Amino acid sequence: MYLRVAKYLLKRGIALFITVVVAVYISILIANAGGYVDQIIKSELYISISQSVRQNPAYKALNETQVRALIEEFYANELKRIGFDKPFIYRSFIYLMDALSLNLGRSLFISSDSGSRSVRIIILERLPNTILLFTTTQLLLFFIGLLIGLLLSRRYGSILDRIFVLLAPLSSLPGWFYGIFLILVFASFLRILPYGGMVDVPPPTDRFSYALSVLKHMVLPIMSWLVAYSFINIYVRRTFFLMFSSEEYVELAKAKGLPESVIQKRYILRPTLPPIITDFSLTLIASWMGAIITETIFDWPGIGRLFYTASVLFDTPVLIGLVVIYAYLLAVTVFVLELIYVIVDPRIRARGG
Amino acid sequence: MEIKTKLSLFAVLLVISSLLSVCFISTPKVVAQEPPKGPWVDEVDMFMETDEAKVVDMLEKNEIQVYFRDITDPELFKKVKASPDLWYATSYGLYFELTFNPVGPEFPKTGKLNPFAVPRIREAMNYLVDRKYIADEIMAGMAIPRYTALTPAFPDYARYADTIKEIEKKYSYDFDKAREIITEEMLKLGAELKDGKWYYKGEPVTLIFLIRKEDQRKAIGDYVASQLEKLGFTVDRQYKLSREAAPLWIFGDPADGKWHIYTGGWITTLVSRDEADNFGFFYTSRGLSVPLWQAYKPSPEFDYVAGRLWNRDFKTMEERDELMRKALELAMKDSVRVWLVNQLAPWPARKEVSLTYDLAAGFSGARLWPYTIRYVNKTGGVVKIASTDILVQPVNPVAGSDWIYDAMYYRAVSDPATIPDPFTGLYWPQRVEKAEVYVLEGLPVSVTLDWVELKFVDEITVPEDAWYDWDPVAKKIVYAPPGTTAKTKTVVYYDESIFDMKYHDGSKFSIADIVFDFILTFDRAKPESPLYDESYIPSFQAFREYFKGFKIVSENPLVIEFYSDVVYLDAEWIASSAAGEFYPDYTYGPGPWHTVAIGCLAEADGKLAFSADKAEEFKVEWMNFIAGPSLSILEEYLDKAIAEKYIPYKEVLGKYISEDEALERYENLKAWYESKNHFLVGAGPFYLDRVDPTAKIVVLKANREFLDPADKWLRFSKPMIPEVEIPSIPTIVPGLSAEIPVSITFEGEPYKIADISSVKYIVTSPAVTIVGEAEPIEDGEWNIVLKPEETALLPAGTVDIDVLVVSKLVGMPVSITTTTTVMSTTEYMMSELAKAKADYETRISGLQSQLDTLSGEIADLSSRIDSLMSMMYASIGIAIIAIIIAIAAIVLSRR
Repeated sequence: MYLRVAKYLLKRGIALFITVVVAVYISILIANAGGYVDQIIKSELYISISQSVRQNPAYKALNETQVRALIEEFYANELKRIGFDKPFIYRSFIYLMDALSLNLGRSLFISSDSGSRSVRIIILERLPNTILLFTTTQLLLFFIGLLIGLLLSRRYGSILDRIFVLLAPLSSLPGWFYGIFLILVFASFLRILPYGGMVDVPPPTDRFSYALSVLKHMVLPIMSWLVAYSFINIYVRRTFFLMFSSEEYVELAKAKGLPESVIQKRYILRPTLPPIITDFSLTLIASWMGAIITETIFDWPGIGRLFYTASVLFDTPVLIGLVVIYAYLLAVTVFVLELIYVIVDPRIRARGG
Repeated sequence: MEIKTKLSLFAVLLVISSLLSVCFISTPKVVAQEPPKGPWVDEVDMFMETDEAKVVDMLEKNEIQVYFRDITDPELFKKVKASPDLWYATSYGLYFELTFNPVGPEFPKTGKLNPFAVPRIREAMNYLVDRKYIADEIMAGMAIPRYTALTPAFPDYARYADTIKEIEKKYSYDFDKAREIITEEMLKLGAELKDGKWYYKGEPVTLIFLIRKEDQRKAIGDYVASQLEKLGFTVDRQYKLSREAAPLWIFGDPADGKWHIYTGGWITTLVSRDEADNFGFFYTSRGLSVPLWQAYKPSPEFDYVAGRLWNRDFKTMEERDELMRKALELAMKDSVRVWLVNQLAPWPARKEVSLTYDLAAGFSGARLWPYTIRYVNKTGGVVKIASTDILVQPVNPVAGSDWIYDAMYYRAVSDPATIPDPFTGLYWPQRVEKAEVYVLEGLPVSVTLDWVELKFVDEITVPEDAWYDWDPVAKKIVYAPPGTTAKTKTVVYYDESIFDMKYHDGSKFSIADIVFDFILTFDRAKPESPLYDESYIPSFQAFREYFKGFKIVSENPLVIEFYSDVVYLDAEWIASSAAGEFYPDYTYGPGPWHTVAIGCLAEADGKLAFSADKAEEFKVEWMNFIAGPSLSILEEYLDKAIAEKYIPYKEVLGKYISEDEALERYENLKAWYESKNHFLVGAGPFYLDRVDPTAKIVVLKANREFLDPADKWLRFSKPMIPEVEIPSIPTIVPGLSAEIPVSITFEGEPYKIADISSVKYIVTSPAVTIVGEAEPIEDGEWNIVLKPEETALLPAGTVDIDVLVVSKLVGMPVSITTTTTVMSTTEYMMSELAKAKADYETRISGLQSQLDTLSGEIADLSSRIDSLMSMMYASIGIAIIAIIIAIAAIVLSRR
């Protein structure tokens, strides 16, 4: 039995790893757009270097030959620095190896907040901020959705239920939209919460005040997402539980006169656990990728803005770094979920053959 | 009794203390408030904010006081303008143009027609675009029309303002003229106009227009495309981002025919004193080695003129003037670029805060902002500044971040030897007393400011004891080879107070700072050195080519000689380059020797690298003095330096630094690092107090041990842009002299004659253009005097009078245009006759009225005489009667 499970897991693990390798390499190819991105980067570098040489007062007195020679040399140096003196196919495997080994390599243009060019440091500096804001938000959303959804499914048709159903369309607008609205009300008009950023300016010097200041800066972004996504989450969960509540085996349990709490736990929650866990896991992973627009509106230095900056600058190593971390997390999660499914749902059994 | 006594005593004391308190408390001391040492304010907090709308709201709510970026949204700009609490500075750094593909007339690859291969069609495009419409409507007033390669706010524009004004008049919007020329040329090319559409070889003439879509160029592109469509062209509007367009127009072969026009944009980040190379760069293949530039085929004459200007192949300013004027005209004929508008970038701030701004680079690019930022009504306080970015790249003085978003704070902690004038681009001395500049006879150099003395000499020989190079193996300075000559020699006399200058960690400035910089400049370029950096070689070679020697003439006071082949038009630039070359204000931040030496140790051991390129090559961290993994490595080497009492380049610097002095500096740095957690130590008006890299916040605090008082640079808080007015406009009569008064003021006060460089006028009539210079009468009052022989040339009708005022204090010329009437001689005679007639008639009628009055008076008099006569007759009658009575009485009495 254990051997069969181990073989199954090994196979699944290898399959997932191959999937990750293929996905990452496809991402590398897409990020380069068949060599077109190289052209873009080279053109932009060339014009920016030529401008910078022409603007530099130190070179103002040089003649045309000297100026042109300087531009060409600086350009060649820069191409060498970012590895563009080697063909893309060679670079693509370097990127792949760096990514798979989680070394992640060095960025082309972006520096970390503390000034490092190591992609790992660049990502690791931003990740805690994103986890702090978005994982907190997602956890709140998840549990609010779960608990109130369950409550409403039990009070189907009540006034409270009808209110929440009525409010569900609020989610047709994204969180950042409410963000702008909340900034206008609480920062601009009432002036009780900050416009954005992660901490007060200047930052408090002691840690406790610093932490309080960070919390204060989290209020509006979290509120914006709660307003936008709570009601739809609750609605979805409520419907989900309602569907399960009307299953025949639940009806049978009710007919047998089992207590409501037993029905809730054993007949509704238990079978719904695998999809809930899956949803929860994927939500958590997704939260680690941040949210580009919300982070921009609230000036929150998270992974979403890093992703945007890397895309704009075509910083392939950073993009690949973000993709591979996501891919690994996803693969590991899927792998772990398969294990959990086996534990929580007796209907699922490993098939080693 | 005793209690009573005590109470009395207490009462007396109370009275006395009350009296004293009245004397000491209620009478305030009247003491004039001295400006503090260092900056006016106590603290500047910088942070990142990317949303312009939020920024404007935060400014209005006083959440921030200054924005270190220009406002690009016209609606927000209107809000800033309308706000009673805000003001804005204007910079002129960004400009837009139309770049044409000059290959053709048929593209070799596609066989399609390219009308823009014909210079005359390109020239006609100048008539086709209404620059005023673009500036006023599309850019909502946030731009001014631009016709030439010279930036409207910069000194070269002022120098040739009369020629440019003529160009602006000649090439002003004229759709019909554009149509006429383009039609004529298109027919010559074999194209046909059918039903209002151009066809070539049976196919519509389609122009591929690459329109940038991320800024106002989208609307500009649409406007130009519409104008071309009105002429009968089919326009394929391809909206692209910079990244999408760049491979096509920069590296793509224009012969492939993938585009005809591109909406180009350029930026300049400093007030350039010399834009002569713009013609060579923008119009000829000399500019860049990419296919588009190599396709440029200017006329031989234009190419020759542009080449001479770029290579400074002229001996006098007059010769340069002639070349520049020629180039301006020929550039319009060539028009491989058609300039459209110069953006007026508004930089907002709160009204109670004042700070210097640069005419090219706004607030953040002004070197003087840390010296002048202040609250207008108080000393001290905290200023919060938002910027779209900050802490972009690692900061180190040798080869760190060159982003303005980093330079804006690291410049505030450094104190340079000279400071560029934000309004003219000339350099002013900061830690220099004076300089003597010797230039070879026949080189076009002039001087404006009195801290520099300019002398022309026949020959400059570099003395053999001047430092010329560095030998990294023998670790000794190499002296100038015999017979080395230079084009310039500068003697710099540093300010005596320089030795009182303290770095933020408490270390004092010494000559070692300069000597260390000298050696490092060469050492990094030597392959034998552990500090060798391949990426440094191109810029070093450029330096090596012009650097001829350096000599310390006197150690205290500090006087140096600097020999060079660099020739700038302004002697102030030559002097600044000499004074700053080895001064411990490096290109990328402050560099006292002890902080840089720690970095050198780390780089030599392969743990960190000053430059991004070397860091990449050795796969180590790019050195960062203010945050990140570099700090612990630098700390490790600082400890090592303390332990070893390390003196860098000891063979030479050992003469200037003792072990104790070195140790003192390192210990100062150690204490600084422990207190502030960074290594960015300078001598500027601010010190870096805190950095929060994740939250993107920088806190700068006032350096109250700074040498100068805060008001030293106060006069640069606001550019003295002249306000010009013509109070009364006389009618001009041919053959008679005419005087037109010009009033020049600044904020209501007369502008000093000594501060005016020139007041030029251009009188434009259909027949003739008269150009001249106005004459000064007194401060603020000038007169344009047109001589009889000049007015005689003007035909009757209206004439335009342009007045161009160029101040010595601001690089930007100010112009006003007015119109007056010129009468013909006959008209003048008739008018004079009519005037005389009217005058005589007036006089006659006056005389008549006088006569009438007189006759009235005579009549009155005659009536009075009549009445007098009657009275007289009556009196006589009475007298006669009286006599008769008297006689009768006498007679009767005798009886």
